[in-house]
Amino acid sequence: MVYSGKKASEGGDAPVEPRIGVFICHCGTNIAGSLDVVAVKEYALTLPHVVVSENYAYMCSTPGQNMIHDAIEKDHLTGVVVAACTPRLHEPTFRTATANGGLNPFRFEMANIRDQGSWVHMHDWDGGTEKAKDAVRIAVAKATMLEDLYPMAVPVEHRAMVVGAGVAGIQTSMDLAKAGIETYLIEKEPTIGGRMSQLDKTFPTLDCSQCILSPKMAEAGRMPGIRLFTLAEVESVEGYIGNFDVTIRRHARGVLTPDEAAAKGIVGGGCTGCGDCSQVCPVVRPNTWEFGMAPRKAIYIQHAQVVPLIYTIDFDACVKCGLCETACGTKKAIDLNMEDELFTVKVGTVILATGYETFPIEEKSEWGYKLYDNVISSLEFERLICASGPTIGHLVRPSDGETPMSVGFVLCAGSRDNTGIGKPYCSRFCCMYSLKHAHQVIEKIPGCKAYLFYMDIRSFGKAYEEFYYRIQHEGAKFIRGRVAQIQELPNKNLLVIAEDTLLGMPVEIEVDLVVLAAAVQPTAETEVVRRLFGVSCSADKWLLEAHPKLDPCGTTTAGVYLAGVCQGPKDIPDTVAQAEGAASAASIPIHSGQVELEPYYAQCVEALCAGCGMCVGQCPYSALSMIVNDDGRTVMTVTAAKCKGCGTCGGFCPGGAIRMQHFTSPQILAQIDAFFLGGEQ
Amino acid sequence: MASAKAYKDAGLSARLADRYYRPAQDSDPTFVGDVERISGTEAHICYQCGTCTGSCPSAPRSSYRIRNFMRRTNLGLKELSLNDPDLWLCTTCYTCSDRCPRDLIPTDVIMAMRNMAAAQGILPKNMLGTVNFIYQTGHGVPNSDGNRAARVKLGLEPEPETTSKYPEYLPAIRKILEAYGTKQLADKVLAEGQ
Repeated sequence: MVYSGKKASEGGDAPVEPRIGVFICHCGTNIAGSLDVVAVKEYALTLPHVVVSENYAYMCSTPGQNMIHDAIEKDHLTGVVVAACTPRLHEPTFRTATANGGLNPFRFEMANIRDQGSWVHMHDWDGGTEKAKDAVRIAVAKATMLEDLYPMAVPVEHRAMVVGAGVAGIQTSMDLAKAGIETYLIEKEPTIGGRMSQLDKTFPTLDCSQCILSPKMAEAGRMPGIRLFTLAEVESVEGYIGNFDVTIRRHARGVLTPDEAAAKGIVGGGCTGCGDCSQVCPVVRPNTWEFGMAPRKAIYIQHAQVVPLIYTIDFDACVKCGLCETACGTKKAIDLNMEDELFTVKVGTVILATGYETFPIEEKSEWGYKLYDNVISSLEFERLICASGPTIGHLVRPSDGETPMSVGFVLCAGSRDNTGIGKPYCSRFCCMYSLKHAHQVIEKIPGCKAYLFYMDIRSFGKAYEEFYYRIQHEGAKFIRGRVAQIQELPNKNLLVIAEDTLLGMPVEIEVDLVVLAAAVQPTAETEVVRRLFGVSCSADKWLLEAHPKLDPCGTTTAGVYLAGVCQGPKDIPDTVAQAEGAASAASIPIHSGQVELEPYYAQCVEALCAGCGMCVGQCPYSALSMIVNDDGRTVMTVTAAKCKGCGTCGGFCPGGAIRMQHFTSPQILAQIDAFFLGGEQ
Repeated sequence: MASAKAYKDAGLSARLADRYYRPAQDSDPTFVGDVERISGTEAHICYQCGTCTGSCPSAPRSSYRIRNFMRRTNLGLKELSLNDPDLWLCTTCYTCSDRCPRDLIPTDVIMAMRNMAAAQGILPKNMLGTVNFIYQTGHGVPNSDGNRAARVKLGLEPEPETTSKYPEYLPAIRKILEAYGTKQLADKVLAEGQ
């Protein structure tokens, strides 16, 4: 391990008597408006070892930081306590101020008297003040026992991994590769492209989705800096920022790429995407990429623009008749006995871009999805209106293949719903694509009526409100009311029943086709992937960013970043913007070459270690192992870079032989004593 | 809602009346809290989507708009709500409550308002007539000769297994109506001719 500073033992003159400075922040009126900061300041002066106590409007400001700096020099402090907001916000600020004053930055301790004090006791002046005094006393007790610590620097592998190859993953990978970072792009489907490749047109510009995406797909497929693995999933993850060992499972594709064929010594072999195999295949299955609205063979590609253009065998459907092998001939691309392959790669940082799927709207039974033939989902509509779709772009209703002359669009189908069946959040892009859908039916089918049932039209983006005007001009009818129920008539037409809340009248409209703008939810795989990488999720299951405003691409796991809808619903422009942000964030540690880790790792006191080894299995990060030391005794040792300082081993060790830096037992006991004994020693 | 301007022509006066809704004068700030306490549903998170009215079997046949009552609750329009005859047009089928995306129970909001109205003696006459029917026969809709004939035709006894067949239980029903003051209220209001 590499230390970026000198150790305390090398520094020589360790101070004997602790001298603590206490600084109480007003945070404007955030703290000072709800408790007596002057009383807390004066109280601090009565505590043992406190030699200076100040209060100031904004401790995080330059004058506030200078107060810390000056007091360290003037009063020869050995420890600094700031009672203010949360360490999550300003611990780095005050550590820097402490270091600028000439103290080791880890001799700083923070008392949270805002988020856990004034904010929760806003209407209890006396109680809030007493609690702040307790918090300061506890922090001072710890500050008297703090030691010099030095962050550890670990090297960062010059490679990255992106999980999920929708538009977010593609953009992130291309940015990283262009920045000179070799990037593994992992996709569970046989092709990259994701949801965006299933869409027909994009709002508000109405450019063809595939036309703008496929150049990126093609470029990502051939960029030397991108190592693309489709039909692949993350199997397991070990390590930490800079040094993730990620094991990938490549599902058996049954078809060799030209490179794989060459490696096997088949000259000029491998799949060329000619499709001869698919033509002779006798097994027909629904094409899941077309939501089952088109057939495919057991050996297939999902659509014409797949990347990579390599056929895939669906081994659940394949009868292994061998006709495809014969059709493939001398290319010898087909291997009916192929098995899954596991391989491990080392990467420095990881970006998750696992995307979304639509919520199962049939659970809202009043709309009759999967019950009535002519009630379809918005993604099914995209395929039916798309020129490359199963109907070559002719919108038809499923019951009889007729062209619908009236279409009802149900917005908020499962969104903004806190019954426990739907999703409590706004899915964010449904308003805009429903406007686009209305435009498409009016444009493609002369005379076709479009009715949009909405609660609020959320056209929040650049040129979005203007798009709303345009659809109003084109003649779509907007009915401000959520659809209460849909009934099927004997001719398979549908009665859409709602209240026009602006008229205050119930409305009943007979339409030929209903499109449900279904709520979105994280893909099923997201939960698996997030657990492998130790990333948190919010209550609605979207992956949790490190900070909703100031760190939207990061996670609380160092070295793991988020891009696209897996973090929360967003449209294509926002997805691409976040993907580029994530690529930038993920490239910083890689280009720095090393990262500093907090020195909060466990240490084994070998003299006390009995060598029982019981701690090794307790460690959730595989950071502990047993070694034979110089004295020939078997003892535990910690791989500091893997240790997260969680304290599981330290709390468990029966012999008290494990020391948690910055959270030592004497430090924690001093804090507990300070709380219970009220400052008596 | 505020005072009408003084025009000599009463019709003109009504047409040109000041119809602004002014929260300071028109809203009762305690109304939403009272309704929520009695109904046990958080009426204040209603976002006026209209799923309730769209689901309502009464709405297409009457001027009753359940969504309107939810709105009035949140604005504190107590007088308007309790005096509105539409309050009594809910069939309490609970379909709106099944479908409400905010997981509210609009039906119970109506029930709360009906209780508040009844406590003030605001009840429709036919409702009180029903009270009297129950007092006299144990039934809101008493058995009739036509009904008896229909029952016999279906192979049933002419009287159902209720107070129709066992009139000896009627005194108990009368006791209940008297104990809760329902009968007295009905008599009082009907006597006042409201």
